[in-house]
Amino acid sequence: MSQPLDGVRVVDLTMVWTGPMGTRLLGDYGAEVIKVESPRQWDLLRALGLIPRDVPRWYNRSAYFNHNNRNKYAVSLDLAHPLGRETVLQLCAISDVLVENYRSDVMDNLGLDYETVRSVNPSIIYVSMPGHGKTGPEKDYVAYGSNVEQLAGLVSISGYEEGEPMKTGFSYGDPMAATALVGAVALALRKRRLTGEGSYVELAQRENLTMFVGEHIVGYSLTGELPRPMGNRHPHHAPHNVYRCAGDDRWVAIACETDEQFRALCTVIRRPDLADDPRFATAAARKANERDLDPEIEAWTLQRGHHEAMHLLQRAGVPAGAVLTTPELVADPHLRSTGAWVEHTHPDAGTWEMEAPPWVLSRTPGHIRLHAPGFAEHNDWVFRELLGLDDARIAALYAAGVAADTPDESLHR
Amino acid sequence: MSRPLEGLRVIEFGTFVSAPYCGKLFAGYGAEVIKVEPPRGDIARAHGPFPRGEPDPEASALFLYLNTGKKSVVLDPRDPAGRGRLLRLIETADVLVENYRPADLAALGLDYASLAERNPRIVMVSITPFGQQGPYANYRGNNLIAFAMGGQMYITGTLEGGPLKNGGYQADYQGGLNAFSAAMLAVLAAERDGRGQHVDISIQRCMAPILEASIPYYCYLGQWSGIRRGNHMASFIGIYPCADGHIGIHLMPRNWKPFLEVIGRPDLGEDPRFATQADRVAHNDELMAELYAWAATETKHDLYRRAGAGRAPIAFVHTMADLVESPQLNARGFLQRIDHPVAGEAVYPGPPWWMGPGDWDAGRAPLLGEHTAEVLGSLPA
Repeated sequence: MSQPLDGVRVVDLTMVWTGPMGTRLLGDYGAEVIKVESPRQWDLLRALGLIPRDVPRWYNRSAYFNHNNRNKYAVSLDLAHPLGRETVLQLCAISDVLVENYRSDVMDNLGLDYETVRSVNPSIIYVSMPGHGKTGPEKDYVAYGSNVEQLAGLVSISGYEEGEPMKTGFSYGDPMAATALVGAVALALRKRRLTGEGSYVELAQRENLTMFVGEHIVGYSLTGELPRPMGNRHPHHAPHNVYRCAGDDRWVAIACETDEQFRALCTVIRRPDLADDPRFATAAARKANERDLDPEIEAWTLQRGHHEAMHLLQRAGVPAGAVLTTPELVADPHLRSTGAWVEHTHPDAGTWEMEAPPWVLSRTPGHIRLHAPGFAEHNDWVFRELLGLDDARIAALYAAGVAADTPDESLHR
Repeated sequence: MSRPLEGLRVIEFGTFVSAPYCGKLFAGYGAEVIKVEPPRGDIARAHGPFPRGEPDPEASALFLYLNTGKKSVVLDPRDPAGRGRLLRLIETADVLVENYRPADLAALGLDYASLAERNPRIVMVSITPFGQQGPYANYRGNNLIAFAMGGQMYITGTLEGGPLKNGGYQADYQGGLNAFSAAMLAVLAAERDGRGQHVDISIQRCMAPILEASIPYYCYLGQWSGIRRGNHMASFIGIYPCADGHIGIHLMPRNWKPFLEVIGRPDLGEDPRFATQADRVAHNDELMAELYAWAATETKHDLYRRAGAGRAPIAFVHTMADLVESPQLNARGFLQRIDHPVAGEAVYPGPPWWMGPGDWDAGRAPLLGEHTAEVLGSLPA
């Protein structure tokens, strides 16, 4: 079956999470992605697999790496060496897209800036994914995972009611920039098809995530009022919260948006009196008295498991969802029945389950056709087949340490 | 050529946040986006913030932001004449973005199979909490429910405080962004061979795999320790109150020395309790106490500038005021002042990514039904 990105070759100069996840999504939907790693500066995710260092090729067994780098080929090249730079430019010359997520000055310092790459391939789509952008007074500031959501304004509006600002549970800006990368590349491919021109695309992780609080920027500029954290509450609807269930740290979320849903909730929890109580009879009254309502609901949820509570409420038309843990996500009957987890085999790492491509496109559904590459797994294919290098040239790359078949393990011991 | 999506016609039959954010990106990058609203308008129009706190369907900041650059057409899909106009509109389109419950959409006769018969090149993008198939497909959900079922809520907040959603409508935004990227893939395929398809976005399925290393570790190693850690993944990754706000640090091992130089505490570098990352983990609470005491003496702007110069990963928690005044965002032109006939001028962020001069133009949000006559009048008879 054909895929939307069939025939699109991507030079992947990214490491860690956001870039690799983004280029993996390109690979999921058909792109031929070639990951370039230096023997001396290779991908940190290979080292974050919790694999003991005495296991052979431990750096190929990291699930954190292998989930984010499937559907790619790997070649080793030290871009800081002139031979490495020359070789990667040869690769760029026969590719469609380049993606990098270094700090804003790194590619310029390597002599791999957009103008240089464009000089070998005028229609290249060159994507940079820096934290702050390639311009501006903060462009060289260091921003890692959790810093991005602080800069994006999200943390300032997150938290319990009357509590301090609260971080997300993960490096949220990373997967959001990864997701945006696919849209950005697709836009640039359409533009190239229509005009024949390549693009320089700049995706600043901080700006991409700031888009997710846009209504509060508009609101602040209209009202001058700073929004405050509101926990799990909704500005207008109630009940809208999580409720403790039977079991250890188990919870169900309930969100009534209409009077009808609230009446159904009261029926399910066998408290029809609440629906007629003037404190809760209208949306405005429920919102005003939501703190009185919560314990009435929790008295019912505490007697039930979180899945049971969800199913009983949903069958009556009440929006409800169990608060799922990671093991529950992997076991979730709904996700399983829709193919969200698939068995996967890797020559060094063995067989386990990983996430399927996230978007179900009916005609071009995405697929997993390549296991994540071992370090330098496709050197031979890239050097000989793609670039047509001769034996002497390849020997020179190895002799200079620009290419290697194994990584310098001392980097991430 | 001007913008990259010039020539593409998108119908947005959606409401609130997820489908409108997807449509906003299409509009900003140059597609013609026709937003179909019921006679009472998108429910986002009823949500604040509002200027002076006075509800006004033409002055909702949520609506104004999410619907820039679109045309608004009012029709009632439950009325046969309105439904007929909607179907004719869809026949003229390249993309349809919607976020209704599958059963509700099918009841209107607007399921993919029916629409594809009328317009085989249509890319139909459906954004729902649970997707189009499976036992929960018709379960009801909103941003909060998706946050719970997508796994992001369990790991957010503190152990004692209970699971917490992030601010605003993050699950809905995730749905909208995933939908835009997926839809663009389908647009590429359709422009190649003239055939559309149904793009099924389950917000739960998009959210579940991205909990950093949690899914890989659990799936491969069977290890899971996903408790809520509040504002600290560790003492060296977290948020601390400072004199005039909050600051955040995210220190990898190689950042330890530059960090100590920036904060003027070389003595901590000599302390054997904190010599290596493993030592810092072992003495987490002691280091956290040091950092709480230190951060309270700092002011956010001054620290942030020093950290930038010293290349230490320290940021501060930007409030909306900090964003609007940000030297970085303003220098880059990321904050645009856009006027609106009812709400007046306001600051809007954008674009999410830059593709070259003139490739993004947000425009303003439409008044309810502002383009009904123009759009419906131009439909082929």
